[in-house]
Amino acid sequence: MKASVRKKDPKKILKGIRDGKEICFTQTGPRDTGQSDFKNRFTLFDLRKLIPLYDGTGYFSLEVHGGARFHQDMINNMVDPFEEARIWSEGAPKSLTQTLIRSTNLWGYRMYPHNVIKLAVRSFLPTVDVWRCFDFLNYIPNMASIAEEVMSGGKIFEPSISFTESPECSDAYYLRVTDEIVDLCGGTDQIILCIKDMAGVATPSRIARLVDAILQRYPGLVIQYHRHATDGLAIPAMAAAAQAGVKLFDVTDDGFSRFYGHPPVLPLARYLKDLGFPVRLDTALAEKASEVVHGFIRHYERFESQFKGFSSDVVRHRMPGGAFPSSFEQAEKGGFLELMPHILKGMAYGNRIIKYFDVTPGSQITWTTWASIVQRLNKDGGEQAIRKLFAILERYFESGERLEALTQADENVLLRLYSGATDDLKNLLLGKYGPLPFGWPKDWVYKSAFGEDWEDRVVAERLNESPLSRLADEDLGRAREAMELDLGRPATDDEFVLYTQHPKAAIDLLRFRATYGDTTILPTPVWLNGLRAPGDAIELELAGRPHIIKLVSIGEGVGGVKHVVLSVDNIMHVFPVDLPESLASKKVVRKATPSNRGEVGTQVTGNVWRIGTKDRALKPGDHVRKGEEIMNIEVMKTENAVKAPFAGILKEIAVTMNDRVEEGQLLAVIGVETE
Amino acid sequence: MTKAARPFRKIFIANRGEIACRSIRPCRELGIQAVVGYSDCDALSLHVKLADEAVRLGPSPAALSYLDIDTVLRAAKDSDCDAVFPGYGFLAENPDFAEAVEKEGLVFIGPSARVMRILGDKIAARRALAASGVPVTPGIEDVSGPEEIIAFGEKVGYPIIIKASAGGGGKGMQKVYAADEVAEKLETAQSVALKAFGKSTVFVEKYIEGGRHIEFQFIADRYGNVVHLGERECSIQRRHQKLVEEAPSSLLTPEERSRVGAIVVKAMKDVGYETAGTMEFLVDASGQFFVLEVNTRIQVEHTVTEMISGFDIIRTMFRMAAGERLAMTQDEVILRGHAIQCRVNAEDPKKDFAPSFGTISFLRQVSGPFVRSESGIYQGWEIPPYYDSLLAKICSVGKDRVTAIERMRRALREFEIWGVKTTIPLLKRIMDNPKFVAGDIHTGFIEENIAGLTEYEEVEEQIFKVAKFVAQVSGLGRNIYAG
Repeated sequence: MKASVRKKDPKKILKGIRDGKEICFTQTGPRDTGQSDFKNRFTLFDLRKLIPLYDGTGYFSLEVHGGARFHQDMINNMVDPFEEARIWSEGAPKSLTQTLIRSTNLWGYRMYPHNVIKLAVRSFLPTVDVWRCFDFLNYIPNMASIAEEVMSGGKIFEPSISFTESPECSDAYYLRVTDEIVDLCGGTDQIILCIKDMAGVATPSRIARLVDAILQRYPGLVIQYHRHATDGLAIPAMAAAAQAGVKLFDVTDDGFSRFYGHPPVLPLARYLKDLGFPVRLDTALAEKASEVVHGFIRHYERFESQFKGFSSDVVRHRMPGGAFPSSFEQAEKGGFLELMPHILKGMAYGNRIIKYFDVTPGSQITWTTWASIVQRLNKDGGEQAIRKLFAILERYFESGERLEALTQADENVLLRLYSGATDDLKNLLLGKYGPLPFGWPKDWVYKSAFGEDWEDRVVAERLNESPLSRLADEDLGRAREAMELDLGRPATDDEFVLYTQHPKAAIDLLRFRATYGDTTILPTPVWLNGLRAPGDAIELELAGRPHIIKLVSIGEGVGGVKHVVLSVDNIMHVFPVDLPESLASKKVVRKATPSNRGEVGTQVTGNVWRIGTKDRALKPGDHVRKGEEIMNIEVMKTENAVKAPFAGILKEIAVTMNDRVEEGQLLAVIGVETE
Repeated sequence: MTKAARPFRKIFIANRGEIACRSIRPCRELGIQAVVGYSDCDALSLHVKLADEAVRLGPSPAALSYLDIDTVLRAAKDSDCDAVFPGYGFLAENPDFAEAVEKEGLVFIGPSARVMRILGDKIAARRALAASGVPVTPGIEDVSGPEEIIAFGEKVGYPIIIKASAGGGGKGMQKVYAADEVAEKLETAQSVALKAFGKSTVFVEKYIEGGRHIEFQFIADRYGNVVHLGERECSIQRRHQKLVEEAPSSLLTPEERSRVGAIVVKAMKDVGYETAGTMEFLVDASGQFFVLEVNTRIQVEHTVTEMISGFDIIRTMFRMAAGERLAMTQDEVILRGHAIQCRVNAEDPKKDFAPSFGTISFLRQVSGPFVRSESGIYQGWEIPPYYDSLLAKICSVGKDRVTAIERMRRALREFEIWGVKTTIPLLKRIMDNPKFVAGDIHTGFIEENIAGLTEYEEVEEQIFKVAKFVAQVSGLGRNIYAG
C-alpha cells in the first residue's frame, strides 16, 4: 500500500501541481454537489461505497466536509462531523480531504473569537487536509486566525476570493484582494487561491481574463476554479480557465450531476483532453463511481430542488448553488413557492443597493430580506404591489440612484423597503461583519432599516475596522461546564467543539446517538422510510457479527401511540412509537435546565410526598437556606430529599403533592435574593 | 406445639419476587402445594405463574396487599393452607402477623411471636443478647431528643448512627458526623421509620467506620437443637444495603469461626429460637465483634451458605416448622469452598442508586457450571415501582475465593437485561477491583470507590438501539430527522 498522502509536505504537494502539466480535480459530490442538488442528505451508508473508488481515481482532493453539511450532519443525518472526516481520511489514504470554512463563522452561524477558531481548527487538522476558506465581504483580515492555524498545522490553506460579475468586481479589485491574501499567507507556496464562483455566473472570457491577470502578477500561484453549474456554462468556463492557467477544478460524478452543483467530471475531462490538456483521472473508476451512484441516487429524489433545470437568471439574482435547495424548500414549506420568481428578481435589485457577495451569511441575508419584502407586498397589495416596487426600483437605477428623481409616493415606498430588516441585516449595515467591499450603501437604506434615529446609530455603531479585533476570547471552561450540565455527563474535546458551533444541535445529536446508536449502518431506504411491509427485513453487521431486523407488524395509532413489532435477532420486541399529533397534544413535562442552577429538577422518578419539611411548609416567596430540604420524592419506599442549591427565594413550585414526577422534571425555581 | 411431625400439605407463601419463586421450589420437592398472593400490579409476575395457586390480595401499594395482615391471612385460609411462609421483608418480622397466623390454626414458618418481639425490638434484643454474652456496640436506647444524642456523641466520639428500632434492611439509617447534623438526621430517621415500619422509635449507636459486616447463619428446631452454618461476609454495601455477599469471610480463622459460632448458638438456645435466623456483626479494625441484630427470617444472601454447606435452608425451615428434628450436629456441618452472590437490582449506580423501573425488553439469565441464579423476572415483564428493587441474585461457587470470583465475572458477562438500568455494570467493576479481589473490603468500600466503580459506559446492545430507530421510522413512515 502506498504511504498516505497526508504525511507529505503541503508545499511539495503544491509544487507538484504547479510544475506538473496535468489538470486535477476536486470531487465535491459528498459535500458541495450533495448540498446544492440534494440538500446534504447523502448517507454515510451510500458514501462509504464511493470511498475506495474515489481514492483510486486520482482526485487531488475530496471535498467531504464543512459548509452547511457540518450542521446538516448534526441535525438531519445524525452524523458526527468528526466521525465523517475520520472515515474519509482513513478510507482514502491516497487523496486529500477538504473542508469549507466560512471565515470567522467557521462551520457555524456566528462570529467566533480567536480562541474558538484555534480550538475548532486544531481539532480537525488530523483528518482534514485542505482548508478552503471564504469571506462574503472578501475582507481578508477575517481569515487571519484560520490561516495561521492551518498553515502552522502543516495543512494546505485555500483562501477564496468570492467571485461575481458586476461592474465593481473588476480585475483590479480582485488583484487587490489577492495581494492581501498573498500578504496574509506570507507568499504563495503553501496556499491554493480559490476563485469561488459559488453561483456559477462567469462567462468563459471573463474568467480567463481574471486568471490571466492574477497569474501575471503571481506566476507561482496555484489557482482552483470553483464553479457551480447553475447558468449552464460551467464546462466552457472551466476550459477557458484551464487555457489561462488554472490547474484545479471542482467537479462531481456524472451520476451526481444536476443543475446547481458542479459539472460532471467525465464530460469535462473529455473536453479538456480534446483541447490537448493532460488530465489526472482514472476514467474507468470514475465511470464505476457513477454506476454506484446510479444505484442509490433515486432514494434522494425527494431532496432535489422543486425547480429543475439550469437557471440563466442566476447572473442577476446570484443565489449560490449551495443555497438553492434550502431556499426552495423554505418557500415550499412556507407556502410561497409561486413567489420565487419575484423573490429572485428582488434579490437582483437588492444586490445593486447593498453590495456584498451572495454566499453565507450574505446569501441568507439577501434571501431572508427579499423573501420577507416580497411576501409583505404580496399580502398588502398582491402581485401588483410587487410589480410596482420593481418599477420604482427600475426608475431609481435609471435615474442614477437619485432618490430625488422619484415622486414622493415612490420615495416613501423605497423608504419602507427595509423596514422589516432583520438583526443580521442591521449588523451588516453597521459593519459588524467587516467593512463592505464597495463602500456603505446610500443613506436612505439606513433610514429605511433603522428609522428616524438612523444617523445616531451609524455614527455610534458603524465599524470600519476588523470586527474580530473587538471580539474578546470566550470563557471555554464555562461553556464546557454548561454543555456538560445539559448533557448530563463529561464531554470529550471533539464533542465540545461541536457544541461551540451548534450548541443545541450538538446536545440533540449526542442524545440521539446515545438512544439509537450508529444509524449509519442502515441502508438509505430504511433510514429514510423504515421497513414498509410485514416480513421486510434488513441484515446488518455490527462488530463483525450478523444481525437481522424484521418487521412483524405496525399497529393502528391508538391514543397517540403506534406499536411497532420487530423481530430483532429472532426475538420479538414491541416498540411504542409516539405519533407527532400526540406529542403536540401531550401534556408537556417541564424539564429543569441543568445549566440553570435555580431550576431544581428531580434526579429520580417517583412521587412527591412532601413539599417543605415536617416543620416548614413552603410556598412561593419564601426564603430558603442553602441545602435546606424543599421537597421529598418517594421511590420504591426510599426517600430522596431535594435540597436548595443556594440560598434564595422560592419563586415557583412547579408540582403539587402526590404528583408523579419523572427524572429531570422541574420541581421548583429558586431565585437569587435581590437585596 | 409439640405434636409429632406431620408434613405440610399446602403452604401459603406471603411474598413476591425472587424469594417467593425460591420458596416454591422446595415445596415442589417435598410434594407440598404452593399458594401465593399477588397485588394488582403483580398479577402477571413470575411467582404467580410458578405457584400451584394464586390469590389476589388487593391493590398495588404494599400496605393494601402484601403488608395487610387480615388480607394475607384470609387468602391463606381461603386457599386451605396449613402453613404460612413469609420470606423476607413485608410481614416476615412482624410478630403480630405470626401470632395471627397461629391463632387461625395455621403454622407460621418462622420463630415464635415472643422471640420475634424480643429480637425484633433492637433495644430489647441488645439487652437479651448482652445477657447471653454476645458483644454489643455502645449505644443509647429510648432516645428522647437531639440533646441526648449529642451528649452520647461527645462521649463515644463521632460518627454515630441513628437506626429505626423496628425493621431492618438499612432503611432510614442516618450516619451523623457532627453535633449540628443531629436534629435533621434524627427527623429523617424517625420519618422513614414511621413510613417503612409503622413506628418512629429510633436508637443510636457508635458507628464503626471501615468495619466489616459478618453474619452467622444458624438453624434451630423446636427441641432446643441449634447449629450454625458458618458466616457470610456482606461488607460490600450501598446505602447500608448489601450488594455482594460471600461465604466464608476471608477474615475468619476456623478457630474464630468456632468461637463466635458457639456464642451465637448459645444465645439462640437461651432465647428459645426456632427455625433459621441470622446474627449480624460488625467487626472493627482490631477484629472485635459487635452484634448488630438478629434477623428472625430467611435472608436474601442465604444462598451462599447453601452453596458451601450443601444444605437447603428454606427446605429445612419447612421441615423444622412441621415438627421435624434437626438431623445433624455441629460436627456434621462441613463447609467446603467459597461462594459469592451478586444482587442485580433495578437501579442506576451512576445516579446514586436511584430506582429504575420499566419493562424488561430482553433477558438472558446466567447458566453454566457452578453458578446459580435466583430471580423473579422474565422477558417482557414490567417491573412495578411499588416494591423492592431486587431483580435477581447470581451466585457462583468454587474451591476458593479466586475461582468463585472468576466464575462470577463470567456469569455477569452472560447476564443480559435490557429496558432498565441495573447494578450489573457496577458488579462487574467490583469483581475486577484489585482491593476486592485481595479481600481488602469494608462497609464503606463502595462509597470510598464509587467514582471508579461507576466509570463504566452503559452498553445497551447496539442492535437494539438501531432497532428502536427502525421502529420509529417504520411506525411514522418517515424519518423525522432527515425530513
